[in-house]
Formats: sequence, C-alpha cells, structure tokens
Amino acid sequence: MAGNDRMEPLERLLNLVALLLETRTPLTFEQIRETLEPYRQEKVDSAKRMFERDKDLLRDFGVPLELVDVDAWGGEQGYLIPKDAYYLPEIAFTPEELGALLVAAQGGDENTAAERAVHKLLYGADGGVLAGLAGGPLASGSDARSGLVLAVAAAAQQRHRIVFGYRTSQGKASEREVDAFAMVFRGGHWYLVGHDRDRDDVRAFRLSRFTTDPEDRGEGSEPPGGFKAADHVQAGPWNAQAEERAVIAFSPEVAWWAAGSLQGATTTGTRDDGWVEVAVPLADEQALSGLILQFGDEAVALEPPSLRGAIVDRLEAIRV
Amino acid sequence: MSDRPRRGAPKTADRLGQMLVVVPYLVQHPGSRLGDVATLFGMAPEQLRRDLDLLFMSGLPPYGPGDLIDVDVDEDDRIWITMADHFARPLRLTRSEALALYVRGTELVATPGLPQAPDLASALGKLRETLGPETLDADGLIEVMGGGIAPEHLALLREAAETHHRVDIEYFSASNEAWSTRTIEPEAVFSSLGNWYVVAWDLGAEAERLFRADRVRTAVGTLETFEPHGLAGAGRDLYTPGADDVPVRLRLRAGARWIAEYYATTDAVELDEGSLEVTLPARSLGWIAKLLLRVGPDAEIIAPDALRDELRALADRTRERYGV
Repeated sequence: MAGNDRMEPLERLLNLVALLLETRTPLTFEQIRETLEPYRQEKVDSAKRMFERDKDLLRDFGVPLELVDVDAWGGEQGYLIPKDAYYLPEIAFTPEELGALLVAAQGGDENTAAERAVHKLLYGADGGVLAGLAGGPLASGSDARSGLVLAVAAAAQQRHRIVFGYRTSQGKASEREVDAFAMVFRGGHWYLVGHDRDRDDVRAFRLSRFTTDPEDRGEGSEPPGGFKAADHVQAGPWNAQAEERAVIAFSPEVAWWAAGSLQGATTTGTRDDGWVEVAVPLADEQALSGLILQFGDEAVALEPPSLRGAIVDRLEAIRV
Repeated sequence: MSDRPRRGAPKTADRLGQMLVVVPYLVQHPGSRLGDVATLFGMAPEQLRRDLDLLFMSGLPPYGPGDLIDVDVDEDDRIWITMADHFARPLRLTRSEALALYVRGTELVATPGLPQAPDLASALGKLRETLGPETLDADGLIEVMGGGIAPEHLALLREAAETHHRVDIEYFSASNEAWSTRTIEPEAVFSSLGNWYVVAWDLGAEAERLFRADRVRTAVGTLETFEPHGLAGAGRDLYTPGADDVPVRLRLRAGARWIAEYYATTDAVELDEGSLEVTLPARSLGWIAKLLLRVGPDAEIIAPDALRDELRALADRTRERYGV
C-alpha cells in the first residue's frame, strides 16, 4: 500500500467504505487509524479532521455510515456501515425495462441525479443496454426547471408545507402557503396539488408559474379522504367525449393539419371547391370558436348556428 | 496530493460515487470493454482507466497481496476484476436520486408515441415497490394525465435518425402557412411540452431546421445515408431566431396571457391588472394576425403598424365567410 503522502483521497475513501462494510464489530476512530495508513499521521488532530471530512463526504453521498455503541454496556462508540442499509435491494428488471430507464434518465439538461440513479441500477443489466442509447435523449423535460420539480416533489412526498411566489394564468401574483399533497403531469406541465392555507381549499399550481423557489415550512397536513390529485387539475375546455358535434369547413391548404390537430375530429366530406368538412365534438363553444378563428379565413363554422353566432360576435369585437 | 480537483477533472466525491456503481457492474460483467463501460456510465475512458488503477491498490485489512482488489485491463481493453465481493452490489439510491429518476420517467410515460412507455411504466412500478415509502411514496404521489396522439410518421423518422438515412417529407409550416416538399437528414427526434420534434439538416435550404413531427404529412425513407452534422437535440430551444424575424410587441390582458406561456417571447414587462407586455419574434405576420384574431380584444398591438393592417384585412376576409 502506498505511503500516506502519496495516497489519493479516492483510494483512502474506497478503503474506508470497504473496511466499515466488512467489519463485524463497530470500529472506534483509534482502531480505524491503526488499520488505515492515511490516518496514521503524527498529529492525531489533523488525522481526526481528515476522518471527519471523509465521513461527511460519504454521508452526503448517501453512504449510511453509523456511529453505534461498541458493546451492550455503552461504554464506547464505533463506526460501521450496515450492509442492509448500504446495498441496493435486488430489483429484477427486464433488459427492456432497464433500457427504458436508461433512456429516460438522459435529460439533455442538468438532470444528473436521475443519471446517478440509473447507474446504480445497471449492475444487474444484461448485455445490450448500450444499444438503447444510440438515438440520444428522447425528451426535453417539462417547462419547469428540474431543480424546482424535485424540490416540490420532495415536499409532496414528505407532506410538508411550503411557501412560494405564484402568478396565476390570469396574471395575479401573490404568496401562497400550501400543504403539498401530490404532483400531476399533464401535457408537458407539472402541477402541484395541495391545500392552499389562505383559501382553505385544495388547489393545483402549475410549476412554470412559480415566481420563487419554495420555502419549506416543515410538517403540513394529510390529504382529505378519497383525495385524487388529477381531479384538481383542470382538464381544459376540450372534451372529445362531448355528444354534440360542430361542423367546420377547412380550406384545402390547412384541412389535413386542422383535422389532425383537433381531438376527436372526423372528416365528413370534401366539397367541389376542395374545402373539407370536419365534425368535431363541441364541449365549450367559446374555446372552439377561438380554435376556429386561429385558422383565419381558412376555416368557417357551418353548424350549429350558435357557434357561428359566437364567432361573428368575436369578429365584430375586433377593433384595430 | 491535494483534494482540490484540477480544472475540468471530476471531484473526488464524484469519482468515488462512480467507482461505487462501476465496480459492481464490472464484477457482474467480467470482460467488459473499457470504452463501453465509460460510455454507459458517462465517464471519460482515461478517467476510468486512472480510477481503476487506484482501485487496484485498495482492499481489506491487512492489505496483503491477497487482500487487494485485483484489476486487469488486458490488451483488448477488456476489464477483469476479482477480490471485490464487498463492492459486488451498488449503494442504495438516495431519495433525491430515486425521485429524480421517477419524475423524469413519469414525464416520458406520459408522452404519446413512445415505444418504451410500457417498459418504462413497469420499471417505475418495480422501483416504487422495492424502494418503499421511505424512498418513494406509495400510490398517488405522482400522477399522469394522458391524452394526445402520436404523430403518424414518428417511428420512421426516429429510425432514420438512428440509422442516418435521408427522408423525403411533405411538411406544413405553420409560421409561413405553406406546404413544402423537402429532403432532410434527421439527426434527433425528441419530445418537448407534449409535441414531438425532428432536428434535421435540410438539404434544399442547406441549413439546420426543426420540424414538428405532427406536421409531416408524408415521409418516405430513402436508401441514402448521411454524415451527421452534430445538431443539438433534446434540451435545445424550440425557437431559433432568424435574421428576417420581425419583433412584434403585444400587450396581453389576462385572457391572452397564455400566448406568453405557449410561445417563446422576450422582454416581458408585467403591467397593472394582470396585463403583460411581450415581444414575440415572428417569421411572418400572417400567423400572428391569426393568433390575434383568436384572442380579440384581450391583446393589443403595440408594434409594428403593418400588423394592424394585416389583422384588419384578415378580420374582413373572415367576416365575409360568414356573410357579415
């Protein structure tokens, strides 16, 4: 073994982890010092300081380094790393599952915690996981910073109360105090669902509308019985299950794109002039008028008359 | 030797973390190639070689020749490792690591058109089951609301990106509202905020282009292969500013603020009563006029004046369709 002046910190740390994992009884600092040469410096104080730094580094890393009584009489305390707390439990992933996790962890952003996680799972991998990486990362993540997503998810997991700045979709800014319950992901956006203390009601908050990082206020509260997070995130005005149908004609230029982008649309016919008639579910007349208007003069609503009326009203309101 | 890392070199803590996961892999996969292992764990091959040299000197007391980990990298760069039973299994996932992977996986499971989604969903289930409530909470903590349709030609485009084959496409561009046929060299296919995108080199334009996969009407694979330009994929900005962009300045009232959440805007200024002023870079005024037709009085044009004329004319033409 190399002398202490030449030993790399990495080597010292690997030896320390191995020693404390394999020891049958807790080791006092003195015993560790006797066994591991790098701590055998002349000055006990500086050896002790080095050991303290190493210990903190390992704990920060998630190594469960524990200080326990050496014997039942509690006279002396020593260090060890319990194997059952250290080792990852067996998880029987199929190669496809592991490949999927590996692809998922590739962020394209600073999401290195996910990569570290998946690296820990790879040891049992069958060959061929590498092949899945050929196509590169598959997604850009959500519209919220991953650090914020993780902080809020951790709060929800621990049922903590958090305080944060928030701006509603209508532009109203205020500070919110919320008992975090759960997270919902919809259409590329993350939402926090929790109990808003000031409004005394369960609300959903889109993470991209947070104006500050959340401040953790400790223990929050439990969700009410029968709580389902998704019930609190508005599904939007679009409801493909609506019974009533609207009929819209689209110009030949936009018809393919329009019919494909409207959920639940079915093409009912093509006119002699090339315009295509499409039937779509009508749940919210105002929302659908907006969507039709965005096609400008490339689209015209045919049925029902009330939808035509709503569109004409909006057109009359345009003042340039 | 100092603990301080050299510039660009990984810190000791990170190297330790890597070793504690790489060694279990090497123990379970004797004879793995150094290059493959480095790729798999996102390390520089030289760093891996250096750290394996150090591993060679570590072990258990009394640190005699028979107590040290034996590492051999043979002439084919295959790694053989023995006497490392204590590192045969990796360290547990920390709560933040498990949560990060879970959150990231959930985002992907919710993306329509992802072939790995069923495997990913079952993997996340196993992860949650095994790690238990102290690491990942039980049901209901993280939920996904599905929906959306997978673009028709997604699989073909992804395959072409992986095998570097040119594709002929018919594409509808929303920004200039026109159909075009192009030959493209797709380099990356990724999803962002619910839509799939194709980053490609456009042979006709001799430039990089970003295509929405759902606006590709037809896609025909060719047998011609290409050399990738190394274009950026997932994580890139979805809007690439162009030299011909017109800066459009808008005042958005509460009902139109969604425009600033949906499109890439700059120079946002919050005004009273929930109004917001933003600049929207536009390749053509046509589609902005249509957007403004949709939001009506909830948005106000500040500049340019030409956009007012465009909107007025569009509103007139659209009214004609309704005979008013």
